[in-house]
Amino acid sequence: MNASNKKILVIGGGMSGLTAALEAAETGAQVVVVEKSPYLGGRVAQLNKYFPKLCPPTCGLEINFKRIKNNPDITFYTMTDVTQITGQAGDFNVTLNVRPRYVNDKCVACNKCAEVCPVERVNDFNYGLDNNKAAYLPFDMAFPYQYVIDMSVCLGEACKKCVKACEYNAIELDMAPQTVNLNVGAIVVAGGWNLYDATKIDNLGFGQVANVITNMQMERLAAPNGPTGGKIQRPSDGAEPKSVAFVQCAGSRDENHLPYCSYICCMASLKQATYLLDQDPEAQATIFYIDIRTPGRYEQFYWKVRDRENVELVRGKVAKITQAPGDKVEVVAEDTATGNKVRRVFDLVVLAAGMEPSTKSDKIPLAVKYTDEGFIDPTGLPAGIFAVGSMKSPLDVAKSVQDGTGAAIKALQSLVGR
Amino acid sequence: MEMEERKYGVYICLGCGIAEAVKFEGLEKAARKNGKIPHIKSHPILCSPEGLEFLKGDMAAEGINCAVICACSPRVKYEEFDIPGALIERINIRELVAWTHEPMAEETQLLAEDYVVMGCAKIKKSDLPAGVPVEIERAILVIGGGVTGLTAALEAANLGQQVVLVEKEAELGGLGAGLFQQTPRSYPYQELEVPVVFSKIKEVLTNPKIKVLTKSEVVMIDGQPGLYDVTIKTDGKEDIYKIGAVILAAGAKPYDATKLGHLGYGKSDDVVTNWELEKIAADGRILRPSNGKPAEKVVFIQCAGSVDPDHLPYCSAFCCGTSLKQAKYVRTMNPDALAYIIYKNMRTLGQNELFYKHAQNDPGILLTKGDVTGVEVADDGSLAVIAENTLLGEKIKLEADLVVLATGLVPATLDHPVLNLNYRQGPGLPDLELFQGFADSNFICFQYETRRTGIYAAGAVRQPMDMATAMEDAAGAALKAYQCLEHTAKGIAVHPRAWDQTFPDPFMQRCTACKRCTEECPFGAIEEDEKGTPFYKINRCRRCGTCMGACPERIVSFKDFSVDIVGSMVKAMDVPEEGTRIVAFVCENDAYPAIDAAALNRLQLHPAVRFIPVRCLGSFNLVWIADALSRGIDGILIMGCKYGDDYQCHFAKGSELANYRMGKLQETLDRLALESERAQFIEVAINDFDKLPKLIEDFVVRVEEIGPNPYKEF
Amino acid sequence: MADETVIKSDLAFVKRLQECGGESLKKCYQCATCSVVCNISPDDKPYPRKEMLMAQWGLKDQIVKDPDIWACHYCGDCTTYCPRGANPGEVLGAMRQATIEHYSFPTQLARMVSQPKFLPVLLALPVLVILFVMKLTGTLGNIPAGTIKYSNMVPLLAIDAIFMAAAGFAVFVFVNGVRRYWKDLNADVSPWKAKLSDKSVISATIEVLKEFIVHKRFKECVTNYARATSHLLLVLGFIALAIVTAWSAYYEWASKFGLIPHKESPFSITEPIKWVALLGTILLLYGIYLIYQQRQAKANGAGFGGYFDWLLIWVIVAVGVTGALSWILRLANLASLAYPMYFLHLVSVFFLFFYAPYTKMAHLVYRTTALVFAKMQGRE
Repeated sequence: MNASNKKILVIGGGMSGLTAALEAAETGAQVVVVEKSPYLGGRVAQLNKYFPKLCPPTCGLEINFKRIKNNPDITFYTMTDVTQITGQAGDFNVTLNVRPRYVNDKCVACNKCAEVCPVERVNDFNYGLDNNKAAYLPFDMAFPYQYVIDMSVCLGEACKKCVKACEYNAIELDMAPQTVNLNVGAIVVAGGWNLYDATKIDNLGFGQVANVITNMQMERLAAPNGPTGGKIQRPSDGAEPKSVAFVQCAGSRDENHLPYCSYICCMASLKQATYLLDQDPEAQATIFYIDIRTPGRYEQFYWKVRDRENVELVRGKVAKITQAPGDKVEVVAEDTATGNKVRRVFDLVVLAAGMEPSTKSDKIPLAVKYTDEGFIDPTGLPAGIFAVGSMKSPLDVAKSVQDGTGAAIKALQSLVGR
Repeated sequence: MEMEERKYGVYICLGCGIAEAVKFEGLEKAARKNGKIPHIKSHPILCSPEGLEFLKGDMAAEGINCAVICACSPRVKYEEFDIPGALIERINIRELVAWTHEPMAEETQLLAEDYVVMGCAKIKKSDLPAGVPVEIERAILVIGGGVTGLTAALEAANLGQQVVLVEKEAELGGLGAGLFQQTPRSYPYQELEVPVVFSKIKEVLTNPKIKVLTKSEVVMIDGQPGLYDVTIKTDGKEDIYKIGAVILAAGAKPYDATKLGHLGYGKSDDVVTNWELEKIAADGRILRPSNGKPAEKVVFIQCAGSVDPDHLPYCSAFCCGTSLKQAKYVRTMNPDALAYIIYKNMRTLGQNELFYKHAQNDPGILLTKGDVTGVEVADDGSLAVIAENTLLGEKIKLEADLVVLATGLVPATLDHPVLNLNYRQGPGLPDLELFQGFADSNFICFQYETRRTGIYAAGAVRQPMDMATAMEDAAGAALKAYQCLEHTAKGIAVHPRAWDQTFPDPFMQRCTACKRCTEECPFGAIEEDEKGTPFYKINRCRRCGTCMGACPERIVSFKDFSVDIVGSMVKAMDVPEEGTRIVAFVCENDAYPAIDAAALNRLQLHPAVRFIPVRCLGSFNLVWIADALSRGIDGILIMGCKYGDDYQCHFAKGSELANYRMGKLQETLDRLALESERAQFIEVAINDFDKLPKLIEDFVVRVEEIGPNPYKEF
Repeated sequence: MADETVIKSDLAFVKRLQECGGESLKKCYQCATCSVVCNISPDDKPYPRKEMLMAQWGLKDQIVKDPDIWACHYCGDCTTYCPRGANPGEVLGAMRQATIEHYSFPTQLARMVSQPKFLPVLLALPVLVILFVMKLTGTLGNIPAGTIKYSNMVPLLAIDAIFMAAAGFAVFVFVNGVRRYWKDLNADVSPWKAKLSDKSVISATIEVLKEFIVHKRFKECVTNYARATSHLLLVLGFIALAIVTAWSAYYEWASKFGLIPHKESPFSITEPIKWVALLGTILLLYGIYLIYQQRQAKANGAGFGGYFDWLLIWVIVAVGVTGALSWILRLANLASLAYPMYFLHLVSVFFLFFYAPYTKMAHLVYRTTALVFAKMQGRE
């Protein structure tokens, strides 16, 4: 075995990918992680807390980043896409396209560039709940701890205020994309998931009714490093909601949108009900559901939240959401327990939007079998290539970690076998 | 590694606002005078290529091999300041000083000077760590021959590892071998599969790397990762096997259905469990056990014993899929038969929803939500299921020929240690009661972390799960077992300090055999010899330093972290007669990054406080408080993560122990006529950066209300 | 606690509903999206979620007595939004068909009407009847040449006899069915029987008919708002042609008894009765054209309808088209085409009349009955 084909390429630097990469690297394998966004950590970095422990995700990320920092066997590329894969198990030639960050390694994260930057962009990290500058740090715990410039809004040469402000010569507005070629022995695909576009669910009011938000937006609102500093506020006027409806299966288990169950949304909404009640013990959380899906020991968490005062569960799917007077939102469902329709007015409505695999829109450059919904069908993967986490089916963080760890051994096996 | 000749240097970065916040001259003077390091240099941007060239050039030219780098947080620019062969101490005067305090204020200057001097004090007592490679056994023991154990054994063997697979029954296969068919595991999730366990058994039996021991039990596991002696009893005969790591795949057993009398079990032969139905179906027809006639109406009762406070307080996770599968048996074997499923919540998560949809589409599979309140057995043996709160009406009655109870799983570890560890802290895994008897991890991000190093649980013994998940889980556990061997052989720690080459090095001559370390070690790494003297099973150690914190004799040290090192840092602080001084011991995993985040947000912190990061609050030794108070320091803060059932400590017990020790401390303080409020523990999560300034400010105010430390004048 | 309800599932009935266009009924997982998106479904015990469950469980007794299946106007909102592809709109249609089958006598005939394979047999009846009557009146193969006059083929009196008999049969079957249906509706304490209103049958009926005329409920649908208009055109066309039929009967009989001057078809284009006939035919055909277009466009989302549904539409089309062609061919004086066309016209009209209790035509009657009942219960 030569040195180069002992390498493992991990596509995706989210929880599944990081886990696969680190677990493999800690056995002595050489691992390269490729991440398309400017930071590692993926979706979990955007979460306020994990269910069921209600602990902050950055805690585990910190440990993982520390593992990366201390492990010379692991390297990573951010803002990078895999553009080509050829070859076979044990000998894959991979081409990477490293998109320019426009900020080099000299960046010290002093924030001067952002201070002088005259243009704003929609803050995708906060799911559009606020804007940040074209020169920005994705979030406070970002790893790498390095700014980035959004060239789609940057004024470029005409402005150059950041270039002048940076005392460290860290900004290169003319930075060019780079092509990197790698030879690797195994590939782990961990592209993660995107939140389903809730505007497509035309009867649930997202994008039409101001105070209808998604579950991921709720995470950002509740997060201390979010757009409101951790205050849950309704978008229309910043008021703290007294009553919040959680609408389960917003897009999931729905042939018109996502026919599968997105796995995490029941637990996520139960968790978010605790965010609300921790902020305001007098507030009312109402969860509308078809089936409460809290598998295994998660059931305990369900009981704990269900039994809290001010938490109500209504067995029926919300199918109509409309604007009500006073910036409120009217929600209609049939309570299948009573067989009657309920029409209720809330300050804020949270749609439990589902998971869409990133491969729905972003295919990997390789002939693999996808399901109709864009998941990778692992039975159709070539030798030496492994799909993990939400590439195969929706799952939670715990299962992503299990799967990522398991993928590491499979990748190692495919190196040893040669 | 011991450095033969140590030469020190202090390098101060002036970038990132440091030069605007503090005066270099003051820092230089402090380092020279109080830090006792004469070689002090500065650079406008130390991390820049020019700065690094300057740093490395200067160190080479001057022969400096111990450098105190006063710049940014050690959490950033880690690559730049990683200088092989040199002992580096990173002093964070950017986040902890420049970004969080009033520039050019006198207090700010004093704060920075203190940090510089503390760094000088630390580096003088630190050493470069080096792991000690050891010869180890590499065989992996897999306990349990069910689908999880089989998979784990194969995964490890396919990586070239020798495996010993222990199964208590005469045959391999576990619960999976009792299945007629298996729920679909792949897209489009429609066709039932031949149980995968049979092909796994074949593979295992023909794999030369796997030694299979059936009718066998683990009598005792003695030793430590890489060096276990495992006594296995096979057919009454005991043998000792040399083992490196253990995978616990003991699985689960069906919940005892005799406890489900209210659902008719035991009252009629025609009330059976889902496990029993598999056997009935294996004959190709669903016949009533009572009279052998075909069952035309089969009622499945979900959550029989699961999600029930009187029985199992958890969801067994596989039963919904299983009942849908079994309903398909009923319908396939007899197209005129009806299968009814009464469920509380249909739990077919992820893509399993597609199987639900598929099964449901059969006109003879009828589903409703409902709470089954009883099963009536009439005199003629006919059955009726009574359910409430159904979709069909408040209270319904369904006639049935056969009732199937979807009974859940109970982990093997619920009432038996299984592992039979010969550990001072007991034969099983700790914390089981927290997980309803499952051998689970408490960490969402780190699924395989048990409190017994080298032992990794997988499958239904770890969490309720279906077989597809159990197989993935087995692969993960196999990886962890292999990884543990790799690290142990190199003499380095495993998760979460997987890079750490240091290890606890006790000065045994001063040990009083008080046994606090043996009791408090979260990983059971310390045993006692016949005389009661503790000794380390070092391969079990995770390097958290809890023993170091526990030891009243302060004899436990790591190369770069010891009671003395931290004590010296405390003593290095300058305590003026006027003004408050507070020292805060902060967990480097959570509280310290939170302070960095506060700094990024330019939140202002109180200048009276000096932060000292520690590996884990478990390593916090009470003597530091004595050191601090005798120095005249007015207050002591301990900042670490949440403890209790949902503990966040990566070493399981750190902050809980710190809090416990603080409780004991307060008695002592009261006795010394020192106000116990001078020392306080506060829980800080990594994302609590926004709350930090106030928490700290409040503490300072409280201490100031108490008044200055009376020892200050001495 | 109410007494327990013993659940008796009828698997054959489930399968029957599936055959009748409700093949997707098993897909429902009871989320109740359908009940919510339906704008005409009431808040109290809304439909069609509960109906979907009854269908899945084969609860035939409950379904045929459920007035709510008639409150549905098959607009397709529920089908469009159904997350499971269960097509509640189609399933309700199947339930209505099953109800018509259940209450119409003889059931076998109803079954035949709903299955395409029996269409030739069903058609054979009017063909034979008319041929037989022509034989009796001696016009079979013996139509006088010259100006086309359809009474030369089948005398008016014979027409009256045939169609009065067919209509009489239909009315008899309807009366019988409605009587049983009404009894069943009132017999049970249905979950949706609230009795909040004390409206009499008469006033309830008047209200229902008034709503029909303007398609009040239909217009509340979202997905297929346009369908209300096309259906309304169809109904208005139908009413116009009914008026024409009554009008010409009045001319025939009133003149026969000397009450008015002799007046007999064919009527000239200058006669108002012709205007109404033409208008009715145009409305009818245009309405159907729109329905076809709309259903085609939204077949995937909102449902296309099954054989049972379309049979009536095609019969009406046949009546309209053959009627119009008969007129045109007569004016064109193409006897060799005109008489056969008129024959077809008679066959289709007979079909429409005679089989009315078994075709979707019956929805007029059962829907009215169910809605009158609902009105009397105060269920809006």
